[in-house]
Amino acid sequence: MTDQPVDLRRAMRSPRVKLLIWRIGCGVVLMLALRAVLDLDWTSVAPSWLFLLTGLGRSWLLAIVAITAGGLAAAPLALARVYGPPGIRQAATALIECVRATPELMIVFWVYFTLPIVTGNQVTSWNAALGSLSVIAAVYLAEVFRAGLYSVPRGQSEASAATGMSGFSTFLYVILPQAVRNMVPALIAQLVGLFKTTSLVYAIGVMEFFRSITVTNNAVFAPYQLYLVLALGYFLSCFAITRIVRWYDPKYQLLE
Amino acid sequence: MDWHILWQYRAALWDGLVTTVWLSALAIVGSTAVGVLVGCLGATPSFYLRRLTAAYTELLRNLPLLVKVFFFYFVLSMPTIPAALLGLVLHQSAYIADVTGAGIRSVARGQLDAGLALGHGYWQVFRYVILPQAVRIVIPPMTTQYVAVIKNSSIVALIAVQDLTYQTQQINVETFRGFEAATAATVLYVIVALGIIGSMTLLQRRVGVR
Repeated sequence: MTDQPVDLRRAMRSPRVKLLIWRIGCGVVLMLALRAVLDLDWTSVAPSWLFLLTGLGRSWLLAIVAITAGGLAAAPLALARVYGPPGIRQAATALIECVRATPELMIVFWVYFTLPIVTGNQVTSWNAALGSLSVIAAVYLAEVFRAGLYSVPRGQSEASAATGMSGFSTFLYVILPQAVRNMVPALIAQLVGLFKTTSLVYAIGVMEFFRSITVTNNAVFAPYQLYLVLALGYFLSCFAITRIVRWYDPKYQLLE
Repeated sequence: MDWHILWQYRAALWDGLVTTVWLSALAIVGSTAVGVLVGCLGATPSFYLRRLTAAYTELLRNLPLLVKVFFFYFVLSMPTIPAALLGLVLHQSAYIADVTGAGIRSVARGQLDAGLALGHGYWQVFRYVILPQAVRIVIPPMTTQYVAVIKNSSIVALIAVQDLTYQTQQINVETFRGFEAATAATVLYVIVALGIIGSMTLLQRRVGVR
């Protein structure tokens, strides 16, 4: 009889039991949350599901197009910063650092409000959104690319120079393949950051996920229900991307 | 280009800059306090604390800041400044918790074992051995986070807190001189960010790893 509590205590300390208790706790919290969610009145929100889903789709489209365009622009920027001749190197560094020090919202406003003043052509809000997000993606990806190029140990390029490879083929066959492998987790982390940044183009009137939620809320006024949908939409999207990083590299610590 | 407009609106720009600076300063203090606490709790050996703090950072990092600020402002109907501040603090505290946790973990595990072997308690080792080393490691990534606070603070313009971005928009609405106003605001943001980077570099020289 006296052994009973001691054994229970020891059992509570084993990692598997702890994990089980944690999972049960999470389950209970989720069940309570689910009950609270079902208690809300969803009839006013339900008809807008397609509109909201389209908004979420637009956010995804913005993020994916911007990271693609940004990646294409980031490659020459990063190469100029790492391998460029003295003048160009400083210019690329200054450009990257200045844009990185500017708030993302200001960049969105810059592209939307001041680009037409400079060029004289009107920009649609969708194009301005794509443009500003691409600029944001480009400078942050340039830093990722640079870190990737630097992550290849110096001995690699010295060894290939010693075996008589030219500078270009060293870059193409030795440095680049290793750099790309090291970059992938940080690239996906940038995609998470960019997906969250897409919410900023709300300010210039693009009907992405955040704006479609606020528009629906103005029409039917159901803030609790809609903000739940909003949080879930962003959380699940970003969580999915994060999980892809973990799947690619289980040891990788996600730090944006 | 009409740069005189900036001189004409110097009071508005100055007000905006002051609002941005004190809002960011409060947000930096608040998010550091919360973030460091969460990060330290997450680095303890306790299983449940680690899981709880991981859930906290995971939840907050996967939501855009705009969503948090609008939630406090529109759904909970808080006044603008507290809503903005709470949003900024919650958002950045998750990142700071991660940075702190990574800093503590990067202090070699042998240090903890050595301290425990010498007969110190966990908290003693943590306070006198691990923390002083972690602080030095954490300063550079913390600088990035503080600059991020300055940048993120521009979002509060969308709930009509009259910060630098808001004043820029006002100038644009009143005079259509968006280009000049945006340039001035960008320069001011960069100056504030450089100020942060400069003071953190000084701090790094004083206490950091040489």
